[in-house]
Amino acid sequence: MRLRKLVIATHRDVGYLLAGMTVLYAISGVAVNHIDDWNPNYVLKSDTVIVGELDDGPRFELAEDVLARMGVDEEPREVVRMSPGQLKIFLDGRTLTVELPSGNVHDEVFRRRYVFFETNYLHLNRGKGIWTWIADLYAVGLALLACTGIFIITGKKGLGGRGLVLLLIGLTIPLAYLVWKL
Amino acid sequence: MSKISAAVVMVMIVAVTLASAETSSFGDGVSLADSVAISTLLSDPDAYVGQKVRIDGVITGVCKKRGCWMQVTDPETGQGVRIKVDDGVMVFPYESMGHKASAEGIFEAIELTPEQVAARAKNAGHSHGADGTCEKGTGAKAGCDAPVHEDTIYLIRGTGAVIQS
Repeated sequence: MRLRKLVIATHRDVGYLLAGMTVLYAISGVAVNHIDDWNPNYVLKSDTVIVGELDDGPRFELAEDVLARMGVDEEPREVVRMSPGQLKIFLDGRTLTVELPSGNVHDEVFRRRYVFFETNYLHLNRGKGIWTWIADLYAVGLALLACTGIFIITGKKGLGGRGLVLLLIGLTIPLAYLVWKL
Repeated sequence: MSKISAAVVMVMIVAVTLASAETSSFGDGVSLADSVAISTLLSDPDAYVGQKVRIDGVITGVCKKRGCWMQVTDPETGQGVRIKVDDGVMVFPYESMGHKASAEGIFEAIELTPEQVAARAKNAGHSHGADGTCEKGTGAKAGCDAPVHEDTIYLIRGTGAVIQS
């Protein structure tokens, strides 16, 4: 009986502790599962602008001319001559790819996708270091939640009946998938 | 409670300080003292294949979805080399476009198959190039739109990088 109380208390407290992180990881899990269909980290918008024929010249002077024609009042972070026929102008959250001498500009604006960028950063452990340890502890906590969770209810709704059926279904789904795919 | 509040504020200050650092280090960072000019590297690439090299330049392309490569270019000549890493080992942020960077790793040569050459030729000039997107099935494993020299992609298998803010 004392053991059951400990199991319930452990499940309750670990559950509270990990609830927030589990929701964050769940959001990121769905987001990165579909990475082939969308960009879960950034919102990118692009457009094509024609600024008119451009005379050749030093890269920063060319950039100044392009920005003036586009009405952009911002100092470029960097300007790179990618080839004789292409110039890239890097602004804050924006990249202009200028075709020379035609003056066709591929204008790309990007920003981090709110919430998703941060949750993916945690879920995919991009920061490494201490977060590796926190994520390891979280994984242990999840295992603890699972192991204590199945012993909370006794009787027909627990492992003596319905609980066991659900437990077996939960194990069968990944195993069946592996048997099918491998 | 006030101690907890103070601790939270301290953690936030440290986090903001770290976030506003002037450089960001990835992987093992940069250990070689001297860099090889990108033009030197590409003028005689076979001489450097298999060697650990460091290059300096401006980031002109980054893998949009996974951050698994970045293109470091000499701003004067436009010559660039791709730094490729395995997914998740290092993640180069897309907002580092246009930032100065140093990167190092093992210089590699990847010979393209005729199918990959054909796929690249087919896609040349539309989704590749300006926005650096890699479409499915167009040889992404071989570097997709990385610069090619006579059917060979030269890239650096990255071990570390430092990006300036």
